[in-house]
Amino acid sequence: MSDATTPTMEFHPRPAGGQAKPWNFPAPERDALGNGLTVLHCHRPGQQVVAVEVNLLAPLEAEPAGLDGVATVMARALSEGTDRHTAEEFAAELERCGATLDAFADHPGIRVSLEVPVSRLTSALALLADALRAPAFREAEVERLVANRLDEIPHELANPARRAAIALSGELFPASSRMSRPRQGTQETVRRIDAAAVRAFYEAHVRPASTTAVVVGDLAGVDLRAALEETLGAWTGSPGRAFPPTPVTADDTGRVVIVDRPGAVQTQLLVSRAGADRHDPVWPAQVLGVYCLGGTLTSRLDRVLREEKGYTYGVRAYGQVLRSTPEGTGTSMLGISGSVATDVTGPALADLWQVLRTLAAEGLTDDERDTAVQNLVGVAPLRYETAAAVASTLADQVEQFLPDDYQARLYQRLAQTGTVEATAAVVSAFPVDRLVTVLVGDAARIEEPVRALGVGPVTVLR
Amino acid sequence: MGPTATPPPDTGALTATEHRLANGLRVVLSEDHLTPVAAVCLWYDVGSRHEVKGRTGLAHLFEHLMFQGSAQVPGNGHFELVQAVGGSLNGTTSFERTNYYETMPAHELELALWLEADRMGSLLTALDEESLENQRDVVKNERRQRYDNVPYGTAFEQLFAMAYPEGHPYHHTPIGSMADLDAASLEDAREFFRTYYAPNNAVLSVVGDIDAEQTLAWVEKYFGSIPAHDGKQPPRDGSLPEVIGEELRRTVEEDVPSRAVMMAYRLPHDGTREADAADLALTALGGGESSRLYNRLVRRDRVAVTAGFGMLRLAGAPSLGWLDVKASGDASVEAIDSALDDELARFAAEGPTPEEMERAQAQLEREWLDRLATVGGRADELCRYAVLFGDPQLALTAVQRVLDITPQEVQAVAAARLRPDNRAVLVYEPTPGDQTPHDATPQEGAAQ
Repeated sequence: MSDATTPTMEFHPRPAGGQAKPWNFPAPERDALGNGLTVLHCHRPGQQVVAVEVNLLAPLEAEPAGLDGVATVMARALSEGTDRHTAEEFAAELERCGATLDAFADHPGIRVSLEVPVSRLTSALALLADALRAPAFREAEVERLVANRLDEIPHELANPARRAAIALSGELFPASSRMSRPRQGTQETVRRIDAAAVRAFYEAHVRPASTTAVVVGDLAGVDLRAALEETLGAWTGSPGRAFPPTPVTADDTGRVVIVDRPGAVQTQLLVSRAGADRHDPVWPAQVLGVYCLGGTLTSRLDRVLREEKGYTYGVRAYGQVLRSTPEGTGTSMLGISGSVATDVTGPALADLWQVLRTLAAEGLTDDERDTAVQNLVGVAPLRYETAAAVASTLADQVEQFLPDDYQARLYQRLAQTGTVEATAAVVSAFPVDRLVTVLVGDAARIEEPVRALGVGPVTVLR
Repeated sequence: MGPTATPPPDTGALTATEHRLANGLRVVLSEDHLTPVAAVCLWYDVGSRHEVKGRTGLAHLFEHLMFQGSAQVPGNGHFELVQAVGGSLNGTTSFERTNYYETMPAHELELALWLEADRMGSLLTALDEESLENQRDVVKNERRQRYDNVPYGTAFEQLFAMAYPEGHPYHHTPIGSMADLDAASLEDAREFFRTYYAPNNAVLSVVGDIDAEQTLAWVEKYFGSIPAHDGKQPPRDGSLPEVIGEELRRTVEEDVPSRAVMMAYRLPHDGTREADAADLALTALGGGESSRLYNRLVRRDRVAVTAGFGMLRLAGAPSLGWLDVKASGDASVEAIDSALDDELARFAAEGPTPEEMERAQAQLEREWLDRLATVGGRADELCRYAVLFGDPQLALTAVQRVLDITPQEVQAVAAARLRPDNRAVLVYEPTPGDQTPHDATPQEGAAQ
């Protein structure tokens, strides 16, 4: 600060906050429909757009060998025509409700997300139920979805962040693990998918008894039970079967892979390794420690890489669940990602490693820990203002076999976690010699500086 | 101050009150006690349209400098203080305005007001060369990350440059050019602040679990002594003929994954019935998976992998209708153009069907409900209508205005505007080379 400009306003001391009002993560009610479908519902006053999240217990690992992507094509085909509507009619009916419907296949299963104004909830639920109960899987529609998916692949490969993520999965996990391969399949596997394969996957893995629907929004004045029984309740099917995940071992030997992107003006970086299941007691301390490392632009990484050096628009550290089991034997991915200008790739990575080394040597400060707790806990009422945000977290909990009060208790556990525990968790999450680094960038310009860092052997993919 | 409008049924009981401080700061308050949160939103009536030749990107670069400290807030303190009490915050810059917002736990509202007032009144006491150099590099990396390092990343910029002629205030986009970012000086930044960052050039909205009387007292306490100043020149005139008059077409060869056809149509100014009608036309034509263009190009002809329209509403110049078509396989530009022109001509001749009107209105209604679902979204919309149209109450009736549009109005705007002689066309041709992908991509989680 300087006195170069004399301010003419009247200054006041920084105000102290008032008394916080109590807020708790919403507790859902559980229910089961006659057909065995599980329902979690939660009334959020004022939220006029209702969010419905459906979990289908159809994990990627259940895809037949050589047919990677069939879960994705099936998920998309659910909304491409039913016993009552053609594909075009279905899309039109859905949009007439002002609704959006998305379906996505991931390691734990398929997620179908509906959002609709509460005034048209019942009509939209009827369409959702049709999609789950009686999808048409017409050959022409599946063929188009396959062609569409094949068209998308080159776009994904051209995106540096996505390209880095694919390369990393392939590096980190053994080829035998589904986690090593792209979630939505490759050119080779997607090409093999047809309507018969889609139907076979549906019949093997999609049924009401293994399905959970989460409904969140302003449900005052809605007879939810009746609306659900009339729609999703009309779906019949035999009991589902569990599909226990194969344990996976990741290879986190420290090394660097450069994916060459000649002429790139930035290097996309992804520094990662596999982490614990979310059931692991370390999780709350890890959330806290990882936030201190790279949760926001005032965290350690951006303080140096962005706010001091200007190397990047922002670098973030995170932990992301890949698949969780009730026994806690699942896998997550720990990562640091961002992009840095090509000509400072070497110095930026050197600084990144230095931040990690300093953290390991000196630990977090009590102030950092306190600020992180206050942010992570304090921000909850904002983060969960919308129905969609609440529904998504509840559905994650279901998908990860966590109790319905997990998020509520997480906030209590964060508040009880000390500086020492948070330090230990983040240091063991990112040990400097056990990190797999993927760089998508101009190899001719970054290879030498990266080799000079000495963070492991360097391979270049051209 | 302003008239009180009756809110439409779908926005519930939303109401807003308006106030003005002696220094000209306009204040809009809206109470909602359902969740203990409060949003503070501050719109400054300055955007990239106010920039001059050789200094593109300055409004946005300056927005970054607003987070580098002020008289009582050291360094990165603005971020640190808000985050430390469980708030979230950011700022954004567009053609017509720069906004700053904090969403706070309700009991920390006063802190957000204190912070915004401190930088509105005293930024220049803290602004220095070091901050400028650092944020210049950050912004250049933002530009690389979002525009220069991704396929088709500069399409929007190129289409704007084509649809709004050289010298027009909307000819360049807010990110600016690398050369101009390099040229910006500390004195430019100071001058920018002195010209545009004044209480009488801003609207402050506070929405959520607030006590209106107490909030107004805090606003008066913290902002009331900041002097008004009148150095601001009006932005250059943005008016243009309703139609371009000829098709402007450019083909670029770039390292992109597929051929693409992108178009920009000149549309009516925001704030008019015609703009709402245009929004409905674009929605019926290209706003979802039941739209005419999706059905024709993606489902039936299979010449595209995506085909959709978006609308960028502008108040000070014609709005822009943006079409994005990514080709499927080796479908030709001719096949895409002809299917597209066929559909646009048919729509202009026939207008939307009653079912299409119903769907388009239902979609736009849901989008509005989404925007109003958070206190931050509401605060932003109140500021938008106050700054651009002089009346925040218009935010509460916006949905109703869209629902009042007739099919005839939709047809009329399509016939008048969605014509080949009113568009800029940008065609991407992939550079020849190895097009065989090595692998395929999942939707990996990004940070946050």
